[in-house]
Amino acid sequence: MRLPSVLRGGVFVVLLVTLPMLGLQHWFLNLLVFVLMYATMSSAWNLVGGFAGYPSLGHAGFFGIGAYTIALIFKDHVLTTGYEPFLLLPVVGLVGALIGWPIALISMRTRADVFAIVTITFLFVAQTLAFNLHDLTGGSQGAALPVPRFPADSFELPFYYVLAALLIFTMALTFATMRSKLGLSLVSIRADEDKARGVGVRTIGVKVLAFSVSVGITAMVGAVWAYYQSFIYPQFAFDPLVTIAIVLMTFLGGRGTLWGPVVGAVILESGQQLLTYQLGAVQLYLIVYALLFLVIILLLPRGILPTIEDRLRLRRRRRRTDAAAAPPGDHTPSGQPDAASMLGGGAS
Amino acid sequence: MTDLLSIHDVTKIFGGVHAVDGASLNVEEGTITALIGPNGSGKTTLFNIITGYLKADAGRVEFDGRDITGSHPGKLYRQGLSRTFQQARVFPQLTVLENLVVAGGYGWRQLFTSRVGRRDRDRAADLLEEFRLTDISDLLASELSYGQRKLLEFAAVLMSSPRLVLLDEPTAGVNPVLIETMERHIRERNAAGITFLIVEHDMTFVMRLCDPVIVLDAGRPIFAGEPSVVQNNALVLDAYLGS
Amino acid sequence: MHALIQGVILGILTGGVYALMASGQTLIFGIMKVVNLAQGAMVIMAAFLAYQLFTRFGLDPFLAIPITTVLMFGLGVGVELLFLRPLRREDKSELSLLVTFAVALLIEGALSLTWGTTYRSINASYGNSSWTLWGYQITVVRLWAFVLSLVALGLLFWILNRTRFGRAVRATVQNPESARLLGVEAQWVSALGFGLGAATAAAAGSVYGLLYPFYPGSHYDLISRLLSIVVLGGLGSVGGAVIAGVIVSTSSAIVAATISPAWSEMTFFVVLILVLLIRPQGLFGNVDRGAI
Repeated sequence: MRLPSVLRGGVFVVLLVTLPMLGLQHWFLNLLVFVLMYATMSSAWNLVGGFAGYPSLGHAGFFGIGAYTIALIFKDHVLTTGYEPFLLLPVVGLVGALIGWPIALISMRTRADVFAIVTITFLFVAQTLAFNLHDLTGGSQGAALPVPRFPADSFELPFYYVLAALLIFTMALTFATMRSKLGLSLVSIRADEDKARGVGVRTIGVKVLAFSVSVGITAMVGAVWAYYQSFIYPQFAFDPLVTIAIVLMTFLGGRGTLWGPVVGAVILESGQQLLTYQLGAVQLYLIVYALLFLVIILLLPRGILPTIEDRLRLRRRRRRTDAAAAPPGDHTPSGQPDAASMLGGGAS
Repeated sequence: MTDLLSIHDVTKIFGGVHAVDGASLNVEEGTITALIGPNGSGKTTLFNIITGYLKADAGRVEFDGRDITGSHPGKLYRQGLSRTFQQARVFPQLTVLENLVVAGGYGWRQLFTSRVGRRDRDRAADLLEEFRLTDISDLLASELSYGQRKLLEFAAVLMSSPRLVLLDEPTAGVNPVLIETMERHIRERNAAGITFLIVEHDMTFVMRLCDPVIVLDAGRPIFAGEPSVVQNNALVLDAYLGS
Repeated sequence: MHALIQGVILGILTGGVYALMASGQTLIFGIMKVVNLAQGAMVIMAAFLAYQLFTRFGLDPFLAIPITTVLMFGLGVGVELLFLRPLRREDKSELSLLVTFAVALLIEGALSLTWGTTYRSINASYGNSSWTLWGYQITVVRLWAFVLSLVALGLLFWILNRTRFGRAVRATVQNPESARLLGVEAQWVSALGFGLGAATAAAAGSVYGLLYPFYPGSHYDLISRLLSIVVLGGLGSVGGAVIAGVIVSTSSAIVAATISPAWSEMTFFVVLILVLLIRPQGLFGNVDRGAI
């Protein structure tokens, strides 16, 4: 029994809104903040990496751009309510999208390989610029943001709700995309881009649009993170681990689905936050993430949700063909080939 | 009768091998023309060049009087030149109906409309009915049999109301019943005004359906004419037996 | 002017090393249509291996090359068999990128665990000596690096043009379908080709360790440069990679000498963007329109 999507969405929203009111401890709220961050970024990445099949390896670059943009806007600024940075998030999103747009135009004209090359290089270049442009970014000494005067016992709450709003926004956007011809175009690109181009699909425009929106959202998350941390450094704002994490989460949950990235983020980010106290060493994260990624690609390539869906569909189909089995005495072969027997080997 | 498609001295070289070697041929409008030849004679390469999937090293391609050499496949598609692939290339992750909708084309503003709307269903309804795909229109293309995929690919290509359709081995790997179905669809569409250029290995299919028949060998046409004449021509027999 | 020419000399000398690394990478792409994002990590790994052999046993990095090359060749073959071979054909192009990226991170993590994250460098006794020719300085290390690269590239070209394996590789690169018809065992070509690409990284690795300080995270910088070179040369063209390696390295050195060293790092990114804007297939690459 599957709940209609709108109902599921409603339940999710209610859950998100009421969760903090349960009087949770600080470390748990902090965990939730990070889970929401990664859920949003993974969902955003999913638009480009999941639906279109263009794995961006540089999303962390836009995370950092968002972080430094908000830091620059509020440099030496005195806050009044403390909500100003949140109000300026759309501006940050626009900045991210405007920077992402030409990058997409340049890199998405040929193949996905070239795209990945440009994005990974972009991340590195962005980090280098953050280190080198001392006057603008503070270089290796980092940049400071004004600390909001939120009450100490509910400090995380504003960040939580802003991120929850961003996540809901991103998921609504994803939902709308899946239901529209934009989503159809994106999936056709992923299915067979050359054929899509061959039948007249406006592949470049559609890809660039998806990328710009995706990085705009990522930049906004970066801005919230920067404000939350109050102090940012280039190596953490432009951290390849962020890219790896969101790619991994999307793959784990199931790319090209609505809930997949969220599921992946919940599992992995909670796991990471909980294990931080045990492991601590960054090197270990790298190995664990990389190994996990390889394992998922080889053993569970479609991710958790699509695999479950496949199993359910297979079971439903088997039940249907069993029910439709010819009554005894009827030997005419059915005109329609057995769907279940053809299911094996379906592409993702 | 005018030539809808004409190619002049087209050459394509792969690492020293002349896959297509100064080939010239014409396809008259309204015909079902066959392109046959032994393996390696350059048929698919020629198809790829005509439809813009491959750039020729030399030569010119004209469609409906216009020079289309090197044009992009998508552009040619919109101008009325479409093709199918040997391997029945469809969008596996999309449903049968969605495959048709994508092939049907839509503009910028429609990107933000419903994925498959009322209008789309209406547009595709006739083709679905004609190709007996209505019952399975919501199945994913990956769930179809090979033969069904070939039909789907063919149907999809017709969504754009093309003038010339290039079929790359439409009967390869397909059961005899389906071959008959294909033949019927091709004839019906041809009667409605579509010109066909078909690469084929199945000689009986070619002899029944096509006229004229162009024979390719070592990258260039060596003979063209009625099917019955081609069958007995010495050059042609030599090409097939000699290689 | 003097600085300019000095920069050119420097660029050409180091260009050889970059050419070597890039040729392996573009070869892998040509054979398997896979961009090996782990190429940089393999170079660094070889650098660490050479470093270990040098500090532990006093083995000169140049002499360590036969050892590291064989080891990395094996690693390359292993990676291809374990992680790339199992990918299904439909997913291959999409996932191979991420797989090689994951391998790069795996290597980085393993290197960090073993040697930590501090910068290392191989300080050979001849590290600081240089010759002066017509007023231009030529460091001994760079000169030998250049010679080594030439020898290695020559060896690579010999393998590609004179051996059966090399012919199989070239046939596969040009036309996979025909190659298969001719009986070329595509599976073997892929695995050995990947190994060969890793071997070039190994040869360059020892040299890299002599020229630059490095730490496990150095592979990001390196892979970015290599990718720009490969794109400029044209994905799949070994000759193109060699020429592009020298061009990019020289441009970078000129910028460093005439403007500032900090901006020389941007050169490869600028080159990448320019190539994609002006001639996306690079100098010697093919335009791929998706014919099957």
